[in-house]
Amino acid sequence: MLVQRDLQRRYSKFRLGYLWTLLEPLGMSVVLWFVFSILLGPRGLGLQPYLLFLSLAILPWWWFSKGINASTKVFAKNGGQLRVSLLPTQLWVLRVVLVSTVEFIFSLPVILIAIAVTGFWPGPLIVLFPVAIIVQFFLMYGLALLIAASAVVIPDLARIVKIVLRAMFYLSPVLYSVSNIPAEFRTLAELNPLVGIFGLYRVGFWPEEVNSVLAFGISITVAVVLFIAGVVVFRRIEPRILKEA
Amino acid sequence: MARQSLTRGLDAAIEFSGVGISLPKRRRRKGVGKRQRLRRLAGDSRREEVWVLRSASFSVLPGESVAVLGGGLPARQALLRLAAGTLMPDEGHVRRSDTVIPMVELARALDRRFTIRQNIYLLGGLLGMTPDQIGAQVASIAEQAGVDSLMDRYLGAAPAVTRQRMAWTIAMATHARAYAVDRALVVGEREFKEQCWVQLYELKQRGTTFLVATDAPRPLREFCDRALVIIDGSIQAAGSVDEGIELLREARAQGKIDEPPLG
Repeated sequence: MLVQRDLQRRYSKFRLGYLWTLLEPLGMSVVLWFVFSILLGPRGLGLQPYLLFLSLAILPWWWFSKGINASTKVFAKNGGQLRVSLLPTQLWVLRVVLVSTVEFIFSLPVILIAIAVTGFWPGPLIVLFPVAIIVQFFLMYGLALLIAASAVVIPDLARIVKIVLRAMFYLSPVLYSVSNIPAEFRTLAELNPLVGIFGLYRVGFWPEEVNSVLAFGISITVAVVLFIAGVVVFRRIEPRILKEA
Repeated sequence: MARQSLTRGLDAAIEFSGVGISLPKRRRRKGVGKRQRLRRLAGDSRREEVWVLRSASFSVLPGESVAVLGGGLPARQALLRLAAGTLMPDEGHVRRSDTVIPMVELARALDRRFTIRQNIYLLGGLLGMTPDQIGAQVASIAEQAGVDSLMDRYLGAAPAVTRQRMAWTIAMATHARAYAVDRALVVGEREFKEQCWVQLYELKQRGTTFLVATDAPRPLREFCDRALVIIDGSIQAAGSVDEGIELLREARAQGKIDEPPLG
């Protein structure tokens, strides 16, 4: 109920620019599609149709990076409210994750547009799409708890996270497909939980995209481990967070 | 659900046992020069903490009004936040039998980027009210705080007095049985202040508990039943506010504290 109130609060900000949550990723997809598909020519990067392929991973990626970036600043921003809040401290973190989730859900029509434009329809494995959302949500919540708490102790963390996220963008199969990764690095890459999650988003359209259950297993395991670690670390640092508020 | 853990069946409204808290020392504004920057580059940014409260044990009975004097502003605010549970002690523990509303710089929790109506929901929610409870009272809160004609305006431009009136009214609308209040026990213009006093005495009559921290204790002489004095991080009890003021004066005479004299 309280979460709902928090969300309601954020909605009022969106009203101005709901269209932007659609236009921004759509524009980005088109630009990237143009660069990688038209300018660089068909080098076999990713799968066809590339526009759809791209938007299926770019939306979750934006969700991920926005949520995680926001989590570095939660406690620096809300000191005055934290001081008098009788709500659980974790709720602040949950709030930024939920806000980015809502934004993500609102931006999903972009995928429908991409389907309509390319005329490429999904197969029955599309049912795994919501599963991917759920796994990603828990992964993000755990990670956000971990980062939000650590950012209070390490002031430089916000910058570090930004750089790491930038690197993650290229290390995760957003622009390319898992099959583009050289075989000797593939096991290494599959340790990245986003590999499995992005695979799940795409598997409905390209059944060959998830060739190993392993990547998915790793994603879920990492998500669960991060979730538990996040909750535990957050509990330990909570007194410190409140002190700094 | 709430951060505040309640101990049902506790005799006292608020009970501190052996509570200690150290707070990060405020960074000095001085020394932004080249040397200071060099020092920071060299990694000399050690965080210093000060124990503002040490082995504090006391309890406040339901319906009592207790003044907290001395100790400096950070120490008093820490004590209030500890009482309300928005700060966790480093040593010992705090127990409470009912919700304690933290009124510590409450007006600063309001968000300028939201409308006044949204702010009422925001602060009410922070203080543990559900949207339904706030919805039922939103009209009376607005009327009492004198903002009923500005409900859908953004808070941004509202003067500080208005924000304080809002914060105070919302806190009272929680109908809590205990309050931990800083200087903002009574706020606003003279007329509103008188209203505050009337309402506070009414609440007191009904058995509401108050823990009031202030550096200007004179107006509290009648309202508070007794006082706690923080001297050098430890708590000393006094029978009345007057005795508390006297205790502080003695301590200052002995050079134990370096605070400006009380008003």
